[in-house]
Amino acid sequence: MTDLTPITALGASAPADQHFGPLRISENADMALASLALRRAADMPAPMGLELPAPGKWSQGQGVAAFWTGPDQWMIEAETRATEDFAAELASHAPGCSITEQTDAWTVFEITSDRGDAPIRAMMEKLVNIDTGSFGPGSATRTGLHHLSVFLVRRAEDRLAVMTMRSMARDLWHVLQETARRLKGEPA
Amino acid sequence: MLIPHPLLGLRDAQEFTYLGDARLIDRPDGMAEGAEAAFAEYVYLRDNPAGVHRELWFHEQGDRSWLIVTRDTVTHEILGAELARNVALAANGGEA
Repeated sequence: MTDLTPITALGASAPADQHFGPLRISENADMALASLALRRAADMPAPMGLELPAPGKWSQGQGVAAFWTGPDQWMIEAETRATEDFAAELASHAPGCSITEQTDAWTVFEITSDRGDAPIRAMMEKLVNIDTGSFGPGSATRTGLHHLSVFLVRRAEDRLAVMTMRSMARDLWHVLQETARRLKGEPA
Repeated sequence: MLIPHPLLGLRDAQEFTYLGDARLIDRPDGMAEGAEAAFAEYVYLRDNPAGVHRELWFHEQGDRSWLIVTRDTVTHEILGAELARNVALAANGGEA
């Protein structure tokens, strides 16, 4: 068989990881993703014991998490399972739902702060037109960022995930890098 | 301009694309008697009020739902927004 070398969305052999003052931006290449949509008049499932969140929300279960992406539609995340057939497993836990594999369609960047929520909020204020005050932990939404379509997931006060289409990984990385670099000098 | 999304709250109008008059969801039956005249009217004739107008907006950079937004075309004041899906379902008596 042909000897193939896997590369990340940014074209490197290892996921990107960089520090900017209080902020750290790292590529999360290990997360498996699958979308789950309900069919008409279907009952709400609880795949893998996960409580599917309300509009604009993100919820966490045992090793899996989910965020709302549209009416009757969610994205399910599974840490460290990017190389498995996660969609197939999810489908076995959610009979009657429409499941599609999404892992390789997205690139996920995790922004963490070691100085509380202020640097995360400063990043959001520079990048997206979302009310940061009401976008607390457990919030998730899709919005525009530098003409890119992104999902934002506020995993904690000091942690924000930004995801976009994998083919746009370099553009998003560039934007996040530039913004974090410019914020570095500002008092948090 | 902010649009009060029924599910997500106030959202920037830049996330939306505009389609036009909300009457577009009342598509005539193409197989019915007089369909040609009904379609000519449906495709070409629009009211163009100076005042309150109901129009279709698509939350493209968002949850991809269609909204019916009531807007005052004179002041650009947004008077309300509802999910087009709910409006269509209510009009058809719950049948999708």
